[in-house]
Amino acid sequence: MNDRAPVVLGVIALCFLWALAPVNAAFAQIYDLLLKDAHVIDPANEIDGLRDVAVKGNRIARVAANLDPAGATKTVDLKGLYVTPGFVDLHAHPYLCNSGSLFPDDTWLTTGTTTIVACGDAGWRNFDDFKKTIIDRSSTRVLAFINIVGRGIAGGKAEHDISDMEPKKTAAKINEYPDLIVGIKTAHYSNPDWIAIDRSIEAGRLTNRPIIVDSGILTNIGRSTRDKVLDKLRPGDMHTHFYNDRQVEIISRFGGGKVHEYMWEARRRGVLFDMGHGAGSFLWPVATKAMEQGYPPDTISTDLHQKSVRASQPDMPNCISKMMRLGMPLREAIRRSTVIPAESIDKFPEIGTLGEGKIADIAVLAVERGIFSFKDAWGKKLMADRRAHAVLTVRNGEIVFDEDGLAFPLWSEAGDYDKIP
Amino acid sequence: MKTAWRFRYGPRQVTMTRFRERSAFDFRNTRARHASCAVLALLAVCLAALPLPAQQIIDVLLKNGHVIDPHNERNGRFDIAIVGEKIFRVEQGIPASHAKKVVDVSEFYVTPGLIDLHTHFDAQGAWLNLQPDHHALTNGVTTAVDAGSSGWKGFETFKETTIDKAKTRVLALLNIVAAGMYGPEIENDKDELDVEGAVKMVSKYPEIIVGIKTAHYEPPDWEAVDRAVEAAEQSNTVLMVDFRPKPDRDYPELILEYMRPGDLHTHMYSRNFSWLDENKKVKSYMWAARKRGVLFDVGHGNGSFYFRIAVPAIKAGFLPDTISTDIHKRSIMLPRANMATTMSKFLNMGLTIEQIVERTTVNPAKSIRRTELGTLSEGAEADIAVFRLKRGKFGFLDSGRAKMVGDKKLFCVLTVRKGEIVWDTEGLAATEFTQAGPYTNFR
Repeated sequence: MNDRAPVVLGVIALCFLWALAPVNAAFAQIYDLLLKDAHVIDPANEIDGLRDVAVKGNRIARVAANLDPAGATKTVDLKGLYVTPGFVDLHAHPYLCNSGSLFPDDTWLTTGTTTIVACGDAGWRNFDDFKKTIIDRSSTRVLAFINIVGRGIAGGKAEHDISDMEPKKTAAKINEYPDLIVGIKTAHYSNPDWIAIDRSIEAGRLTNRPIIVDSGILTNIGRSTRDKVLDKLRPGDMHTHFYNDRQVEIISRFGGGKVHEYMWEARRRGVLFDMGHGAGSFLWPVATKAMEQGYPPDTISTDLHQKSVRASQPDMPNCISKMMRLGMPLREAIRRSTVIPAESIDKFPEIGTLGEGKIADIAVLAVERGIFSFKDAWGKKLMADRRAHAVLTVRNGEIVFDEDGLAFPLWSEAGDYDKIP
Repeated sequence: MKTAWRFRYGPRQVTMTRFRERSAFDFRNTRARHASCAVLALLAVCLAALPLPAQQIIDVLLKNGHVIDPHNERNGRFDIAIVGEKIFRVEQGIPASHAKKVVDVSEFYVTPGLIDLHTHFDAQGAWLNLQPDHHALTNGVTTAVDAGSSGWKGFETFKETTIDKAKTRVLALLNIVAAGMYGPEIENDKDELDVEGAVKMVSKYPEIIVGIKTAHYEPPDWEAVDRAVEAAEQSNTVLMVDFRPKPDRDYPELILEYMRPGDLHTHMYSRNFSWLDENKKVKSYMWAARKRGVLFDVGHGNGSFYFRIAVPAIKAGFLPDTISTDIHKRSIMLPRANMATTMSKFLNMGLTIEQIVERTTVNPAKSIRRTELGTLSEGAEADIAVFRLKRGKFGFLDSGRAKMVGDKKLFCVLTVRKGEIVWDTEGLAATEFTQAGPYTNFR
């Protein structure tokens, strides 16, 4: 008996260790990715401070201070940088029939933007082609405002063809892809009537979705901004291109630069105003006047296309920097680039948040100090002393962009590497 | 449009006609002629007394940049004057008063517009392609050579949809595979290796198609290389080879026997070749091939640039002849295979900026026999790139996602293509909005 005692003890000890083992094994791979020591700004969860963000698979596992790197397969030190939810760009052009578009991943993922909404690129006639050729092939989450015009943004003539504005057919396409199509867009319609907007609203009613409007000021022939934002647009509908002077008359031309009373009223009614920077729709004189009077955009968006991307480069961090220059705190700019756009297309809390259990779409930003110039849509500049730019992007749990290689090992210490995961 | 034109110029034309009629009448009268001469003389005296503004014959003047122009052996401070689409003068001390727009580039390097020999810009073609103006011009690349994205069958669509519309000068190496770079099934099909079709297409567009490309060929034989050499020979153009060695088809044979002097081997720092020995010394056949005149091109890409090969190779003195990106939808993401970042990698591996500019301007121009490109010669098309050299701590990923940490990085801040400023990320040529006058309805 006596010489069996050590064996029994050993067996007991082994059992004990065996019982612990799964815990250890699990602990060794709690997280696939740990973003460490960054300043996390997650307005959806009211986080604004030093935190770690842990990712498991394609989801956010935890957001908390001092998570243990021993439990993570890959840890990235992000000291001095900001971590935010991946941006949601409500005004993108990834599929323009007349070829002014940009591809999603190389344009938006490299600028911290993980969700884009094609702003009327396709209508019900060519939406399937858009889905097949762009949406299904991109890593970026590509959603859409469907154009009320059946052929989408296909040039002036097509966009004035009212016989191709069919609410029922548009609604049918929305019902076919209810997860992808988040609303209806009307654009570039310059006839003096309300047909394009009315039909868009009709399609919006049929599908319980918002519309987003891009339309000129035709005050002297009866289509005034006041009518548009007070009578036509419903609460939750959006007007894009709003720091422009030919789309929405925010500021009185004659009243010493004051924001019109009807703009305040429209905001109280719940009409939303979207930046839609682009190549003609963010002008310093308008933006500075409006911001001085406390009239910011509800949502920050880019209207990036082939022309604007080289002219004033209005990617999301660029637009955020511009709003910071006009006095908007970074946290507020992030809110208007994540939670609010997500809410406005009824996708919150699915996206626009770092909530635990949500899909891991994450932007990492650096805010540089120095002397920078920011050009408006007409190429006029305003100098600034801070600039936000994207340094790393996680989409669906995967690191897809990493400008400085923060998440990867030194080549000299990696041996005969082939592709490092 | 037409009405506006008539409205603008109509009345002025009428005035001119009336004046001519009247003066013709008047000049028959001697007294009137004398009177008018006196008036004219008086006017001339008055005008001469006024301080006249200098004649602004220069459209854009890039002032006081550090110019590196290997073709003209310039390396120092110069002003570059652009008139219309051409380079007018490259000199020191060109007076700013002669220019309509002056851009102070004293903080920057100024180079000829770069030539990227290995790009994929058939944007409406296969999915991996990108758009030239978005990725070339923003990196100082004014001439992008598409490396075999299309074969002869798809070339004219590529031309219509992208080449003709782009501001970037897009040239092409035509794929010997007739249907182009559309996946292994097509690219490994011997029936697609069509010499006659390729040669015909080259002769139809000799201004655009500068050579032949073979790539991604997996069968163990030499068919693709043979056909590509044949097509290059018959069309009297250069050949670019992307090669995957097989037991019966090894790399030394390719560069010592199959390729002709002047032909380009792209993807030189890929892990597919073992031209470094155990001591990280360059094997002798590499030097022999270089002596023969075979050219070695970087072609960074998503799988073809490894620090673990490039660093020892460069240390051993085996530098690339041409630096190119192999930019496409995948290589642009983690490896950041755009031109400015690719050049920065070489800068941090020890090449001088002069060596790098040589390998992105004169060398590629010579290799595709287009020596009018990649230069700041007076009279040349005004293609110019301006770079900021930032110092700090930067990381760079290679195709294997391994990192090199460096202290220098190049950023393209301004690009001129055909005399037009097509990229100006720091607003160097832009006006402050407060000085811009009433440019909206609200000022």
